[in-house]
Amino acid sequence: MTESTPLAVELRGITKRFPGVVANSDIELRVARGEVHAIVGENGAGKSTLMKTLYGMHRPDEGQILVDGREVHLRSPNDAIAAGIGMVHQHFMLADNFTVLENIVLGSEPTKGGRLDRAAARRRITEISDSYSLGLQPDVLVEDLGVGDRQRVEIAKVLYRGARILILDEPTAVLVPQEVDELFGNLAELKREGLTVIFISHKLDEVRKVADSITVIRRGTTVGTADPATTTARQLAEMMVGAELPTPATRDSTVREAPVLRISHLTVPGGVGSRAVVDDVSMTVREGEVVGIAGVEGNGQSELIDAVLGLRLPAAGTVLLGEEEITDWSTRRRRERGVGFIPEDRHRQGMLLDAPLWENRILGHQTRPPAVKGAFIDRKAARTDTSRIMREYDVRAPGPNTPAVALSGGNQQKLIVGREMSASPRVLLAAHPTRGVDVGAQSVIWELLKDARAEGLGILLVSADLEELIGLSDTLHVMLRGKLVATVDPRQVTPEVLGGYMTGGHETSPAGVA
Amino acid sequence: MTVLRRLGTLLLAPALAVLIAVAISAAVMALLGVDPLQVLSVMVDLGDTPSQQITAVVAILNRALPLFLAGLAVAIGFRMSLFNIGVEGQYRMATIMAAAVGAAVTLPGPLHVLLIIVVAMAVGAIWAGIVAVLKVTRGVSEVISSIMLNFIALGLASYLLTGPFRGSPEGASTVSTAQIPESGRLGGLNGIFDVLGLANPPRQLYGFLLVAVLVGIVVWVLLQRTRFGFDLRATGLSPSAASASGVDARRMVVKAMLLSGAVAGLIGLPDLLGRTYDYNTDFTSGLGFLGIAVALLGRNNPGGIALAAILYAFLDRASVPLQAASLPSSVVTIIQGTIVLAVVVANEIAGRITRRAAERASRQSSGPPPDDSMTTRRVPGVVSEGTP
Amino acid sequence: MKAAALLLAGSMALAACASDEEPSSGSGGGGESSAASGDLQIGLAYDTGGRGDKSFNDSAYAGVEAAIGDLGGDVTELSPNADGSNRVDLLTQLADDGNNPVIAVGFAFADALAEVAPQYPDTEFAIVDQSVADMGLDNATGLLFAANEGSYLGGVAAALKSESGHIGFVGGVETTLIQEFEAGFVAGAQAAKPGIVIDRQYISAAGDFSGFADPARGKILAQGMFQSGADIVYHAAGGSGQGVFEAAAEAGGRAIGVDSDQYETVGDPALQAVIMTSVLKRVDVAIQTWITDYSEGSVEGGSDVVNDLESDGVGLSTSGGQIDDIKTQLDDYTQQIIAGDIEVPTAP
Repeated sequence: MTESTPLAVELRGITKRFPGVVANSDIELRVARGEVHAIVGENGAGKSTLMKTLYGMHRPDEGQILVDGREVHLRSPNDAIAAGIGMVHQHFMLADNFTVLENIVLGSEPTKGGRLDRAAARRRITEISDSYSLGLQPDVLVEDLGVGDRQRVEIAKVLYRGARILILDEPTAVLVPQEVDELFGNLAELKREGLTVIFISHKLDEVRKVADSITVIRRGTTVGTADPATTTARQLAEMMVGAELPTPATRDSTVREAPVLRISHLTVPGGVGSRAVVDDVSMTVREGEVVGIAGVEGNGQSELIDAVLGLRLPAAGTVLLGEEEITDWSTRRRRERGVGFIPEDRHRQGMLLDAPLWENRILGHQTRPPAVKGAFIDRKAARTDTSRIMREYDVRAPGPNTPAVALSGGNQQKLIVGREMSASPRVLLAAHPTRGVDVGAQSVIWELLKDARAEGLGILLVSADLEELIGLSDTLHVMLRGKLVATVDPRQVTPEVLGGYMTGGHETSPAGVA
Repeated sequence: MTVLRRLGTLLLAPALAVLIAVAISAAVMALLGVDPLQVLSVMVDLGDTPSQQITAVVAILNRALPLFLAGLAVAIGFRMSLFNIGVEGQYRMATIMAAAVGAAVTLPGPLHVLLIIVVAMAVGAIWAGIVAVLKVTRGVSEVISSIMLNFIALGLASYLLTGPFRGSPEGASTVSTAQIPESGRLGGLNGIFDVLGLANPPRQLYGFLLVAVLVGIVVWVLLQRTRFGFDLRATGLSPSAASASGVDARRMVVKAMLLSGAVAGLIGLPDLLGRTYDYNTDFTSGLGFLGIAVALLGRNNPGGIALAAILYAFLDRASVPLQAASLPSSVVTIIQGTIVLAVVVANEIAGRITRRAAERASRQSSGPPPDDSMTTRRVPGVVSEGTP
Repeated sequence: MKAAALLLAGSMALAACASDEEPSSGSGGGGESSAASGDLQIGLAYDTGGRGDKSFNDSAYAGVEAAIGDLGGDVTELSPNADGSNRVDLLTQLADDGNNPVIAVGFAFADALAEVAPQYPDTEFAIVDQSVADMGLDNATGLLFAANEGSYLGGVAAALKSESGHIGFVGGVETTLIQEFEAGFVAGAQAAKPGIVIDRQYISAAGDFSGFADPARGKILAQGMFQSGADIVYHAAGGSGQGVFEAAAEAGGRAIGVDSDQYETVGDPALQAVIMTSVLKRVDVAIQTWITDYSEGSVEGGSDVVNDLESDGVGLSTSGGQIDDIKTQLDDYTQQIIAGDIEVPTAP
């Protein structure tokens, strides 16, 4: 590190405590001016706490924050903005029914005689858009924009307020590969103009692609820095978890002949007057087979899962479980007969957050032993079996009486997986099984799915994580606007090709890597 | 978690609520220039003679009885986040129908009483069932429809009372249904005072107490120990998770409302079978609404509701001796009101405390398990450990 | 208002404390002897609403107060809870504390009285608006009112003062009690002006007590009567009477109040102007008289006392002076009723 030019951002010994926990301890971070600096770490490692500290959303208990070599005290995001720090949140904070221009100026409107000076605003925005190649159209309504465009509006909003240092919180989580490339192109522009970007992510390949330097956080503290040019994603990940990692890739094919789930011409109607959300879908899942569904979210995957589970009534088509037609069955009957379910949103469909773990063990299995005896709940057996699941599936919690809400996402997910596996299902509907869980839990869950597959379980896998889909699936379908538009061989396909199918492009996009 | 700690977390919220309410009430009393300690001493003074004391206890229990049943009925709905405000109308309809049927037939003792109870439960369930059907088939909010049905029940009961079911003579100042004959009445339980060697005052302890205790136990088992209770609670905690687990949400609404209504149908029976033997223009009203407060205070748990009902009844009883001691009896209303408010606040606080405690505990235990060999390995080479 | 009530309650508390310190001989049930010595401890149980209702309960208190003014002694007042479920407790408490006599205000106490009175044979009870003749209690008196006689005079006044020859009656709830009002009013009006047109309507049917507390519907009924030509409307509708007064004020007509002197209690000068008179039900007089009788030892239990024109238990108020010009005629009718020359019907 050269001491001649002051660093854009330097954190010295930052410690932040919350009642009962230390979220950050002794954080050291040095970000040079004009670089893209990535901060990586597992979920819950303390990245968000750190960024909130830097953005003035709360004050550190110990340590110093230096911006351009001078110590600053950030009491609120306004102080951070004044110091030239801007933040692009993971979840966009835009008003849908406002135009791009209105969204960008919202909160710091240029006024002329008490009225919004649109001309001045438009000049500034065009200026920003041109100098960073953001390609903004000021008068388009935000609701008409795609995800990538919205993100650029968020970036422009921060730049409009004069930020020289941009914090991007998991910016690629919501993007398809093509959009990710475009974003990286934008970041390169920002860098060229001398701006500093702090990039938070846990997608290590992307980090290696875009970052100039990397800081790794584990368990609330910085464990080291790495040079992306010489470090592999695997090494980074191992640094994040402090351990060696498995991969999602499955070993040998375990696909058998007998089908466990056959879906024929399934059509699920949308809202009144809208097109079908699942449109004439047919597929087969065999014993020991993982059938993956790739697709940009909102293209009917959730509805397909719901229909197979009996939560949505199909307008046409049939669903067969083994040799039995289950199209008219209730959800309970389907589950009793061997349909397991890992929901895409575990808080919404998989857990009773305020209930203890042993009650969550019963959920979805109310009619089956060991937790239930006839019409009665067997509390003792439920607790015992919950303890077993916790042991066997590495659910880290004080005990079966702990409320589910107290667990981290990964531990909640492991409990769900353990619960579903314990009922020995014939077919498992797994929607985003590792979403929002840390790398450690992710590998455990992958291993569990692979083991179950080897034992003959059929798995219908929906995921937004293309690496996971390609790695786990034996067969891979692409879903677009409710239809299966392609079936690809997961051993051959690349994420780029898959991304092309998912967006309807049918081709690989030009590599726009910075 | 030990039994003691679980009990502690269970009692934390109500205890907090009572404390907050007492503190606020004491402050209000002090503002009004009333000595809170004097009020307290009057409240806990049940009387001078053993007979007076037993009478006071009987008065409290007799009052607590319908409150308990009302709280139970409301709580069954609350358990699945169904706001059954219609308990009021359900018990009115149930009581007048039960009174009319009870007066119209003559059966051997136990059968006669049983018939009255069954009619009351059935009518209450039907009245509540209307709400459920409207919600399930037409998506009408149960709050709206049950409030409307309360008005309809009031009007209908009034029409039935003055019309077809009128049993009181022309010109009587209180209009009532015909009296239920001897065989359809439930005697008092004062015999147990003799058995216990206590004073036996003329005031009779309602025989319906036994039925209420039985109902309380059945409801408790149903809610806490059965699949049905689990499904009910799951639906209340998360409707989406419940339906994904195989609970038919619509059927659950119907079942819960029918059960709630059936229990609501019992609310008027302690008075009907033990004292008035008829439904009349002066029949105690408003119990359905008090039930909401009692259910809140009892945290929807039958045991808690029983305690809450007794506390409410105890406070109610105190209003008379307070007046006799020339203290404002409105302090009773103030305490009752503040308790309900405090319960809402305390539930929230206690929830946060227990949640935070659990989170802390699970964070501690989510450290590396001792046998985990992977955690300590480091990747050598390219990576510079720690900051330079 | 509240502060005043509280102050009053406070002063009464002091009085109660003071009396407690005196050695009281009348606590054990020796009611008769304490009554004889003039050391009255009166128990008063109000109907729902309690003190400060500007009507029934206040009137009862006024009677007790007047009696204490004459005879000395104290009063303990208790109000029931909102749903009236503790009426038995009120009477029990009053009797237990050694109050004698005990007065229950309102017929709703009938069941409670039937339960409590036999337990305290040495205590003398009275109940307002409820006959005890058939209750088999020998230590209770029913204080009844000849509402028909008061209403008769109201009818006479309305007929004499009406210029259109068209008057109206608004009843609260169609019960036998209110029908008595109607019967007397109609009879009086027809006696004073044969052939007079009388509109008669009730707000709610028996069993639905909303008619006593629904000023909006009271107003609608009265408006209809004024529009069809009536110029004076008499109400026997409790709280709903407010609506009748409002309708009268808007239509330029007049109204007759009920129970208490509503000219004094209505509290709004605009409405005060339309209240020609009120048909009084002198609960205060009835109670004062009964307490005096009790102190003289002349109360015989198990029977009713009917308060009528003769005993000044019912009558017309004269506040505002709007019926001063017909005083002689009214006095004439009063004498005929007392003398028995006019028989006032009790049912329409």
